Order: sequence, then C-alpha cells, then structure tokens
Amino acid sequence: MMQIEGVAIEDTFAEAFGMRATRLVITAASRTWARHAAVAATGFATSVIACGCEAAIERDLAPRETPDGRPGVAVLLFAISTKELQKQLERRTGQCVLTCATTAAYGGIAADAVHEWLGLGRSLRYFGDGFQISKLIDGRRYWRIPVMDGEFVCEDRIGLVKGIGGGNFLILTRDAAAALAAAERAVVAMRRVRNVILPFPGGVVRSGSKVGSKYRTLPASTNEAYCPTLRGLVRSRLPAGVGAVLEIVSDGLDTASIRLAMGAGIRAACERGAERGVAAISAGNYGGKLGPHHFHLREILA
Amino acid sequence: MTPLTLRLKVRPPCRIDAAPLSPRGLAGKSRTEIERIALGGWNETFAVGALFAVRGEDAGRVVLQGLEGSFLRVGAGLDGGELTVVGQSGDYAGESMTGGAMTVHGDAGDYLGAGMKGGSITCTGNAGAFTGSGRAGELRGMTGGAIVIRGSAGDRTGDRMRRGLVLVEGRVGDYCAARMLAGTIVALGAAGSNPAYLMRRGTVIFADRAVDLLPTFNHSGDGELLAIRLLLQSLARYGPAFKPLARRADRLSRWVGDLGAGGKGEVLVARD
Repeated sequence: MMQIEGVAIEDTFAEAFGMRATRLVITAASRTWARHAAVAATGFATSVIACGCEAAIERDLAPRETPDGRPGVAVLLFAISTKELQKQLERRTGQCVLTCATTAAYGGIAADAVHEWLGLGRSLRYFGDGFQISKLIDGRRYWRIPVMDGEFVCEDRIGLVKGIGGGNFLILTRDAAAALAAAERAVVAMRRVRNVILPFPGGVVRSGSKVGSKYRTLPASTNEAYCPTLRGLVRSRLPAGVGAVLEIVSDGLDTASIRLAMGAGIRAACERGAERGVAAISAGNYGGKLGPHHFHLREILA
Repeated sequence: MTPLTLRLKVRPPCRIDAAPLSPRGLAGKSRTEIERIALGGWNETFAVGALFAVRGEDAGRVVLQGLEGSFLRVGAGLDGGELTVVGQSGDYAGESMTGGAMTVHGDAGDYLGAGMKGGSITCTGNAGAFTGSGRAGELRGMTGGAIVIRGSAGDRTGDRMRRGLVLVEGRVGDYCAARMLAGTIVALGAAGSNPAYLMRRGTVIFADRAVDLLPTFNHSGDGELLAIRLLLQSLARYGPAFKPLARRADRLSRWVGDLGAGGKGEVLVARD
C-alpha cells in the first residue's frame, strides 16, 4: 500500500478528456487593471457542464514577457469544441477585456504549437463601426478599435491547441476543516505549474458529480458515494473515519503539465500528514471507458 | 559553398530584362547552362555568358556584380533565396516578388518593389520614384513585404500602396504615400510636397518635424498609441537608425486624412 506521510494513496486514476484550449494574454497600464479584466473574463467558468467553458488565470506576466512591454496576465480557456471555445473567447473578450480600461489582448500560444486558429479581433473589430484600423506588425495582424480612453488593441486571431480537461484528485479527511486546509495547500502548489489552471472557486470543488440524475433534465448530479451525510443510506466509498472530501480539478495544455500539477498538489495535501486528519487521496473516474487520458495516482507519485 | 556570382564584364548596348537571374531561375543549372540562358534585350537576346563572368555554385545566394542600371526587373518575381546586387539596379527591381531577400548595394531605379507581395528588399543607396507602388497602370501598389532604403527615395514613394512596410532612412520625394490604400511608410528624413495626398487608409510616420501637411489633414491628438508603439518597436530589426524612433513613440502628433478620400488614414509627425 502506497503512503505519503501516512496518507494512503489509493490505487486508482483520474479520467480526463480532450478539450480545445487557448491562452489569452491581457495587458494593461498596471497589473491591477490587467487583473480586473482577467478576473472578469474568467468569471462563471468553473465547469463546461453549464458555463460553456472552463477558464482561469494561469499566471501574472512581467512587462518583459508581454508583447507590448506592459504588465499582463495569462488566461487559459478550455471548451469541449472549437465552435464553443470560439464563442466563449469572443464573448468574454468582448464584454470583459474590451470594456476594461487600458487593456489590450494578444494570443499566447506559440505559432508552431497552434492546431487551428480562433478569430478574436476579426470579430471584435466590428465594434469599431467602420473606424477600426488593421495593422500588420511582424507578421501578426492587430486591430485597433477606437474606445473612449484611446484604442483597444487586439490580435486578429489566436492559436488553439488540443488540451486536456478534468485531471482531478480527491482529498479524503477526518473533517471539513482538515479537508479545506489540505486543499488550500494543494492549490498553492499547483498554481505554480505553468500550462495548468484550476477552474473552480479557490481551485477547489466540494460538489463532486456523477453523470446523470434521477431527474430526466439534469445532466449531472451529486456523487452520493462521497457524501458523508449519506453514509449508511447509500453504498458509500468513504473509508471509516472519513468525514469530508474535497476535489481539485485541473485543466492543462498537455498531459505532462497536468501530471506535474497533480503530483505537486497531492504531495502538498499530504504534507500535513495522517495525524492532522488527512486520511487518503483518491481520484474520480468513470471506469476508464469515457475519457482517453488516465492519470494513475501511484504512477504520478512514483 | 560560395554564392553563385555573375560579374558584369561587358556593358550591354541596351536595356536588358534580368528577371531570369534569380535563385529559382538558376537553381540546378550547371555553369554552362547558366551561361546559355538568354536574356531579352531591345530586339535581340543576350547570352548570360556573353555579358557576365560566372563563378561560385550556391544558387540559393545569387550575387550580380557590377550592374550599372541597364538591367531592368532584377529580382522580379523573386520567391525565395537571396539575391544581392552590387552596383546600380535598374528600374522595376524586385517587381512582384513574393518572398526571399534582395539587397542592392548601391542605388535602385524607379519602381523598386512595384507590386511586391512578400519578402524583403534592402537598398543601401537611394531609390528612384514609385518605390513600393504598383506597376504603371495598376490600381494598387505593393501588397506585402518590406522595403528598406538606407538612402533617400524619390517621388511617389508608396503610391497606391495596399499593404506592407516601406522604410526610408533618408528623405522622401513629393507625393509620398499618395493615394495610399493601407500599409505603413516611415521616413526618417524630410518629405517633399503634398505628402499622403488622397490617402484612404494606412499609416505614415515622419520623423522630421518640418513636414508640411496638406490642409485636408486634421490634427487628431498627441497621445501615445499602443499600436504605434508596437509598430515602432518592431522596426528595430530593420536597422539601428530606426531604434531612436521607438523611444519617441510618445512624442508624435497624429493627423487624420486625407479628408478628400475618406480620412481614415493617419500621418504621425514627430513633435518636441
């Protein structure tokens, strides 16, 4: 039996799915304003079940890392199809970045990694009502859309890559407080990893779901096997002594980055050890038949 | 491998079309085959061997040495590789080229890069009239690529230009950017009369404060624009002469016009 600091690592795997992903680079006059835009653009984007996409801030960018030399923020967006990602990118950039004072928006995927292109400025430009200006600089086309504080500069198109959504692990603990403390530590460790985002609030999910429901209209519902209050009523997956579970879901641009993030997160969650109430680490899967990407916990930690 | 070099040994009696002397035109040919290539002149043709001494073997890098202006359409239709002219390239050099890099170590004639679609042209000396324009009678000028003139450029630089970049380190003649449709022209030196006459769209940047704009241009503002900063920063790779301009992105006045042609063009002029 594999253990880290006395915490049992279950012999199971996270089952993840192929997604369409992109990186948007938002810059502004200051880091504060770049963040305002990034936070708004990645709002209501926790799960593709009902948000259309999963999105979050990947990391802050120093001025020397951005195309225009201003402070910036890199944002990752994931959706289940190119069409949906296109729609979400356009709406979120149009409503949350274009509207935000001093911002500019650029693509953040290296040209040689691009699988296909998503339109960005080529749709947003129409806001310019005929006064928009196209400028081709170093082989990249930008649109200049007149707005009240000057111009909104936006790249014409941005690259899409094939990403992965739904890398996850479960932290099984004695009580809710222990689960939260362990999850917070895991999130801090995982947010250091590039190419990965944790789309849920604070990086943590408490409502692990299963596919389907007793109600016909609902595509997903609570995963009763992991709910502590349903122990004794349903076939519980909770070992004795476990009183709470929190899940950490990650989306990444490639499997290596998700493995790196999951490994860092699990180790950080286990650091507090069994005596502080962390009992076991598990992962969510559908028997391995639905998702093409399997992240075996023990392989990741080996 | 050394560059394939054609050195002019006989001054031709008339103008000659030099378009076949491109990396693609010479690729895979033996020296004898190259010497047999017929170049069209006025009512007669000239074998390459009769005009040039041929040496070297790398057809990806072609050098034409000692040209004195008799050769027209040098590098016309160039689509890859390097073509270097040492001496004076005649009119229509780099005409309709789509790729590759042409360098003229010397002066270029009129219509340099006319109808150009891609690639780059660098001229260390001066260029004649209609640089980066269309060929005579065409409705639009160059549609892509970059032309860099280290010296000065003649009248009608960028005439009807549709896309691409024209950079002039020296002065530009009269009617620079006339009827411009889009694209970017930057001149570090003085400009002649009637700059940007009837321009529709596009960006013209004059580093010389004394440029006399037409009355059909309106002052739009002096604020720094992010897109212009990006543009100026990207110019540094075309030569050190353009670097100071990037630092002065916040010291440009923006004028819009030509109001006689829609007014969606912009002319940026350096200010104190």
